[in-house]
Amino acid sequence: MALAAAPRDTPTTRWVAFFGQRRWALYASYFFLFLFIVFFLFPPYYMLVTSFKTNAEISSLAGNPWVIQGDITLEHYRNLLLETSFPVYFRNTVVVTVLVVTISMLISILAAYSLSRMRFWGSATLATGIFLTYLVPETLLFIPMFKIVGGLGLLNSYWSLVLVYPTLVVPFCTWILIGYFSSIPRELDEAALIDGCNHFQMLTKIFIPVAKPGIIAAIIFAFTVSWAQFIYPLAFLYSEDQLVLTVGTVTTLIRGDVFAWGGLMAGALMAAAPPVILYAFLMDYYIAGLTAGATKT
Amino acid sequence: MRLFSQARRRFLAGTAATGAIAVAAPFVHTARAGGRVSLGLWDHWVPGANDALRQIAEEWGRQNKVEVVIDFITSIGEKDLITAAAEARAGTGHDIMVHRTWQVAVYENQLEPLDDLVAEIEKNEGAYNDIARYLARPNGTWRAIVAPTGSHSYPVVSRLDLWKEHAGIDLQELFPAGPRDQARIDAEWTYERFLEGARKLHAAGFPFGNPIGQTSDSQDWLGPLFLSFGSQPMSGDGEITIDSDGTRAALEFMKELTQYMPEDVYAWDDAANNRWIISGRGSAIQNPPSAWAVAKRDAPEVAAQLWHHDTPSGPNGRFRGSLPFFWGLWNFSTNKSAAKELLYHLASKEQVAKLLWASQGYDLPLQQDYYDHEVWLKEAPPPGTLYNYPGRGNEQVIVTGFPAPPAVGARIYNEGLLAVLVARVTQGGESIEDAIAWAAEELEGYQRG
Amino acid sequence: MARKEMAGVAPADALAGGRRLAMRWRGLRQSRAGLAFLLCLPLILLVLGLIVYPFFYAIYLATLNKAETAFVGLGNFAFLFRRSTFWMVVRQSILFTLTAVFFKALIGFVCAHLIHNVPPGGQRIWRGLSLVPWVIPPALSTLGWWWLFDPTYSAVNWLLTSFGASAIPWLSDVFWARFSVILVNIWYGAPFFLIMYLAALKSIPEELYDAAKVDGANAWQRLVHITLPMMRNIIAITMLFSTIVTFANFDIVRVLTQGGPRNTTHLFATYAFKLGIQSGDIPLGAAVSLFMFPILAIFAMFILRDVRERTKRL
Repeated sequence: MALAAAPRDTPTTRWVAFFGQRRWALYASYFFLFLFIVFFLFPPYYMLVTSFKTNAEISSLAGNPWVIQGDITLEHYRNLLLETSFPVYFRNTVVVTVLVVTISMLISILAAYSLSRMRFWGSATLATGIFLTYLVPETLLFIPMFKIVGGLGLLNSYWSLVLVYPTLVVPFCTWILIGYFSSIPRELDEAALIDGCNHFQMLTKIFIPVAKPGIIAAIIFAFTVSWAQFIYPLAFLYSEDQLVLTVGTVTTLIRGDVFAWGGLMAGALMAAAPPVILYAFLMDYYIAGLTAGATKT
Repeated sequence: MRLFSQARRRFLAGTAATGAIAVAAPFVHTARAGGRVSLGLWDHWVPGANDALRQIAEEWGRQNKVEVVIDFITSIGEKDLITAAAEARAGTGHDIMVHRTWQVAVYENQLEPLDDLVAEIEKNEGAYNDIARYLARPNGTWRAIVAPTGSHSYPVVSRLDLWKEHAGIDLQELFPAGPRDQARIDAEWTYERFLEGARKLHAAGFPFGNPIGQTSDSQDWLGPLFLSFGSQPMSGDGEITIDSDGTRAALEFMKELTQYMPEDVYAWDDAANNRWIISGRGSAIQNPPSAWAVAKRDAPEVAAQLWHHDTPSGPNGRFRGSLPFFWGLWNFSTNKSAAKELLYHLASKEQVAKLLWASQGYDLPLQQDYYDHEVWLKEAPPPGTLYNYPGRGNEQVIVTGFPAPPAVGARIYNEGLLAVLVARVTQGGESIEDAIAWAAEELEGYQRG
Repeated sequence: MARKEMAGVAPADALAGGRRLAMRWRGLRQSRAGLAFLLCLPLILLVLGLIVYPFFYAIYLATLNKAETAFVGLGNFAFLFRRSTFWMVVRQSILFTLTAVFFKALIGFVCAHLIHNVPPGGQRIWRGLSLVPWVIPPALSTLGWWWLFDPTYSAVNWLLTSFGASAIPWLSDVFWARFSVILVNIWYGAPFFLIMYLAALKSIPEELYDAAKVDGANAWQRLVHITLPMMRNIIAITMLFSTIVTFANFDIVRVLTQGGPRNTTHLFATYAFKLGIQSGDIPLGAAVSLFMFPILAIFAMFILRDVRERTKRL
């Protein structure tokens, strides 16, 4: 390569050069980044503070609402965890999400493998057109779904969600995986064939391990979408033991025209915790996964 | 009356089994031993009200060997509407389902006629009021009974101390928790006087606040206000009558009143006026007792000064908004006889009395006969605050949209016609004529079949 | 598939090996189309059964009258076109979507650059923090925003008044209400753009930038001539995806303003919900929901075709 003689230009060396040459540019970067982070974080901060305030303080107009002025109370958290069905909602959401992610990944991986490596009549259209499924919004679909879900006897069961969520997740995940699988060099395929692999082995022994970052990216997307869904659970579930976190928190804590703000904020933050934790562990994979998959389509 | 003879014929036809035509309990002998009745009922916000209802229903189930399953469905996010829509479309679900306000007319063709049941209930428990008839009897057939729980109305809720100090009106004296001087009320509690009081309170820094927005609370007070000025959007025959002097008078009145109300009422939802009065900044709202109940917990000094009482009267009378709930029986139910039995049991005076205690006075049945229940006298502090929650005077209880045909009334209510009409004039600065023209155009659209 | 020469193998063995390989490929290829189809079958079934079928049923619903007893063809659409409220919803939806998507993309792009330029060890924490809005379920985080904007208790107004400014009617004034819903949508969606663009940035080879620097290009020129062209595909795809999803937004408007004040913040989904579920006229609600479909579909097909063309050329 032409620049082989120059010192290896890794991000670190680049940063060192940058830092040396334009310190002010780095400081400016940090400053603006800090502003954006403040923008992103001030609502969750406020939600956190509110979740620790007493009801009386939440209802009072006195003083600075951004800090806790009275006692810090764990009452909202305690009430949610011990006296409402919040743990049930949590369990249901976990079950639904894990199942949906598993099923969606199965469907997506198989379809992506097929669409990136093989041809059949209409496959090119399918690969591009899969995106168009997002044009039909769930706020429209849930009405015809009543008939389908009801007909299958799944009304008021969280299995209806397991059936329906993949429609939201699979198209985008397939698209990511198609991009990622397409970027795997064909030489690997041929080497595998020479070794006597059939398709299934090629998929499991080569594609999936090499495309692991892409798969993790798809898993994260699927997880986030399933976890945060509101409209479908609102439409299909009404029993306490079937509700999921989003709908359950809202219906438990908003009763009639009475809003339990402290509890709502506590519930919102607890509902956000699992995705945050998941992201913390898998973020590097996610970035790497999107790198190859996204830009190669 | 034709209705009555229809009911009799059906009644006689359906009870041939043992021939015991006991008028007091006409359905006992048609209930199968065993079987299952499932109910989808409104999730009551008052703690303990759901349990009371569940207890009564399950007790009945034990005695009659029927398995009773109850799901309490919230109205938040219109969940109850969505669930009803799901069940109607899927043709499967609960046997008995709650229907808020206009929904009985929406599902008219899928609800089991209940004329005989209602006839029995009215005979034993007292007559339903006109609004029940208007909402639950589309095209002459009862499609639902009035639900014992959930129905409520919108009295004025005022801060006694603020009105006495700044507006010079002693509301506790005017609307006592006992016998009242109706002539005096008619003379002194008019919209003109109310406007004057609102102006003084606004000057003192404690405005009257009520929503003029997208949610149902907004419609629940504007409809009665407009009616009391003689304005109705549509007549009972479907004729668009919004363009009237009454409407103009009401809009002129609102132009003045909104000057003395907080600026952001146009974004208030159902709970905003609660928050307004609980915060201590508000001097009056119109709301069922939920605001006061929460104030008891979070701002007791405010709660001790809250008083529920009549709405003001206008040139055309005194009206109060309400939000009735009904229970209907889907025609795809597989256990209609037991379901009807249960409905009859739950609607009986003894059970309703228990439920009224459990709701701590929030539920307001649509039968005047229940108004002497003690709960409204006992709830405190301040003692007697709920006494005038059931209308004791000459208020006519309506639903906004009345008297238009229910299909149109539903849209007038749900699409907030009156609130948007007012906001176009008071916030948007439109002329009254333009705004009325817009409203007439909207009403024309609502008539779509 | 191109067959590579097998260099360094004796000619006779190469021929034999080559023939064996050819036979294996032929055998696989014959069953290939069938196998390909089978692997795609779950996807196809999912799409057909749970998206295409309900979609056609919804179209059918949109051609019925209110009581669902008679067929009215395009009557519902004709009816909607005569309503001024409907056109207001159309205008607001377009304004909302274009503004929100533009700013989400811009903020995502800028933040991605900022994070990319942070020393590598420190990037993780900034990345994590900036993802928080996207991770909280929007139905719940919007409640938080609503509480921030509540007319009586707004903490944001408290800040404003503490600094001497006047309180803003976030949700009750037409302009500010529209501003608020767009703001919350931007807050929620920008992290998604950020993460996609950051990934894309990381995949642009450093050599390109170095070569440009050697040629004397400044930062702006490097951005316009290297970064943007390399990222064109990902920018197009994310903006398309976000446009589609933002047009269909329901949660944010429903929780914050319920479409108000005076129906001025209604989007298609919230207006359809009001007409369909609340007023009980489901066919009309379906017609409102379907209105955007033809326009978005054409738009999407153009973008996707463009992306595919460019991919083929690469």
